[in-house]
Amino acid sequence: MNFLEYLSVAFEALRANRLRAALTMLGVVIGVAAVILLVSLGTGTKNYVERQFAGLGSNILIITPGKVETRGGPPMVGPARHKLTMSDSNILQKKGYLFGGVAPVVFGSAEVRLSGRTRNVSVLGVTPAFSEVRNLRVEIGAFLTEADVEAKRRVCVIGRTVRKELFGNANALGQIVKLNGARFRVVGIMENKGVSLGVDIDDIVFVPVRTAQDLFDLDSLFEILISVRNMNDIESGKAMAKSIMFHAHNRHEDFTVTDQRAILSSLFTILDTLTYVLGGIAGISLLVGGIGIMNIMLVTVKERTNEIGIRKAVGARNIDILLQFLFEATTLSAAGGLIGLVVGAAGAGALRWAFPKMPIEVPLWAVLLSFTFSLFVGIFFGVYPARKAAAMNPIEALRYE
Amino acid sequence: MSENTDPLLRLSKVTKHYETGGQSVTGLEEVDLDVNPGDFLAVMGPSGSGKSTLMNILGCLDVPTSGSYTIKGTNVATLSTDELARLRNREIGFVFQVFHLLPRASARKNVELPLLYAGVPRDDRARLAEEALATVGLSDRSRHLSNELSGGQRQRVAIARALVNHPSLLLADEPTGNLDSKTGEEVMAILSRLNGEGVTVVLVTHDPLIARRAHKIVYIVDGRMVTEAEFREKRG
Repeated sequence: MNFLEYLSVAFEALRANRLRAALTMLGVVIGVAAVILLVSLGTGTKNYVERQFAGLGSNILIITPGKVETRGGPPMVGPARHKLTMSDSNILQKKGYLFGGVAPVVFGSAEVRLSGRTRNVSVLGVTPAFSEVRNLRVEIGAFLTEADVEAKRRVCVIGRTVRKELFGNANALGQIVKLNGARFRVVGIMENKGVSLGVDIDDIVFVPVRTAQDLFDLDSLFEILISVRNMNDIESGKAMAKSIMFHAHNRHEDFTVTDQRAILSSLFTILDTLTYVLGGIAGISLLVGGIGIMNIMLVTVKERTNEIGIRKAVGARNIDILLQFLFEATTLSAAGGLIGLVVGAAGAGALRWAFPKMPIEVPLWAVLLSFTFSLFVGIFFGVYPARKAAAMNPIEALRYE
Repeated sequence: MSENTDPLLRLSKVTKHYETGGQSVTGLEEVDLDVNPGDFLAVMGPSGSGKSTLMNILGCLDVPTSGSYTIKGTNVATLSTDELARLRNREIGFVFQVFHLLPRASARKNVELPLLYAGVPRDDRARLAEEALATVGLSDRSRHLSNELSGGQRQRVAIARALVNHPSLLLADEPTGNLDSKTGEEVMAILSRLNGEGVTVVLVTHDPLIARRAHKIVYIVDGRMVTEAEFREKRG
């Protein structure tokens, strides 16, 4: 007997019990479809995040106050002996010859008001370096200048959304707006950047960093952004930033230097893990489907004891009987797997159609893996019933009614 | 035992014990029997006499506890399970009292079954099965499912299945037991005709009218071969 003959015997047996075969397959169908859908969702999310980050530049170092481990172990946040200050920023600027720009940042939120219209916005206190470090450009007017910072001028650059909400189509440049009651002159309007990582870049007001410190009554910085001039120097740049800060803070490491890549890679690790966990949970349902196959195959073998006796009497070897039932189980799981692939892919397509914003991408590896897994589930859970069938004594099997 | 030609089958001192519930039960006790090519032999005995055990051993479904059984000179006791399966496939055709057909398969598929395990290609299987069905006069029923056939027709399908691989021996276990006397007669006529065409037939039965169709009758009581006189005496 060859492969095709075993297969045709398996098909005949399954055809004789269509409903039962279909219900047994359903377990595997759901399992495979779930794996594909969930993995597609996970992969889509990761790719979405990756695209969001792509414009941010991967040559950026971020210094934050306090000691935080971004990877491994529970985060240890010690009390910052020294906050980040403008003098830290100045020393970094002076001594860091690998750095392209050093951008101190103060962060706060404020109510911006223009003749009765108000809006709550994020306010970033920055220096001219911020524009080049973060690759954000002014469309109309000019960005903040060194002189604006030094003189603590009350000037601001506003994002597109802020402009639209406050001014509508009217000219904004040179106008006066009130930030937490203080008067600021609009000197520039940023170009359209859209939403990145859930933050609307266009819904921000930029003011000179020292002005922001006065506005929020702070003497410290939220963070310092550094762009490393050469991508290859990112590691040595990081070491350099650490060493400069270490000495500036009287030999205390009460700050953290992270690079964008580290943040990204830890984020991706989380997203990957999430994808695998989702896939794994779906995989368990596939396993349950396999147990369903085993259950039905055990019933089938019992029911067809007489058939097994007949086949053995006319010359079927044990291996013939074993393969017959193994093929039946595997046909069930493979057919279920194939249908599951179609259902999963169709489900992904339907979700994308219904929710165009939902990030869904069906990765080939998930398709291949889940189908292969379903095949192995059939073989694995088919072996025991098939062995049971093969081991039957032909005389007792013939006597069984 | 001075024949110069070897018998087709030879049982010498075949004994079979069964273990049931920790107890050893004797099925056969030192049975000697020769079957020559072309024989039509009936084995008679009441139920529980051991004739089913004998049938199982003759059909290579079981092996003796002691003694030897040879088919065409091959000692069955030394064969593996797979070799026994192969022997059943090539040398033995079974006809059972309860037919033992696959219910959801057509008559032809049932007849093809031994050919499938003999590794005969699909087209040849169909042709040989049709030929075998023609031998038992069922050409027009080959596409019917076996559970759509009458008892007599089922038994004829079973005979076709037993014949299809041209075995050395046709083993019939109470072949008329589930049939009315008229269809039983038809089945016996087919077996007689086949024997006339050279097929060796061993018939196991408790019915003397059926046994009489054979050319030779052996009697078995309590697992032992007995003479006709002893048989009548024991049955009272």
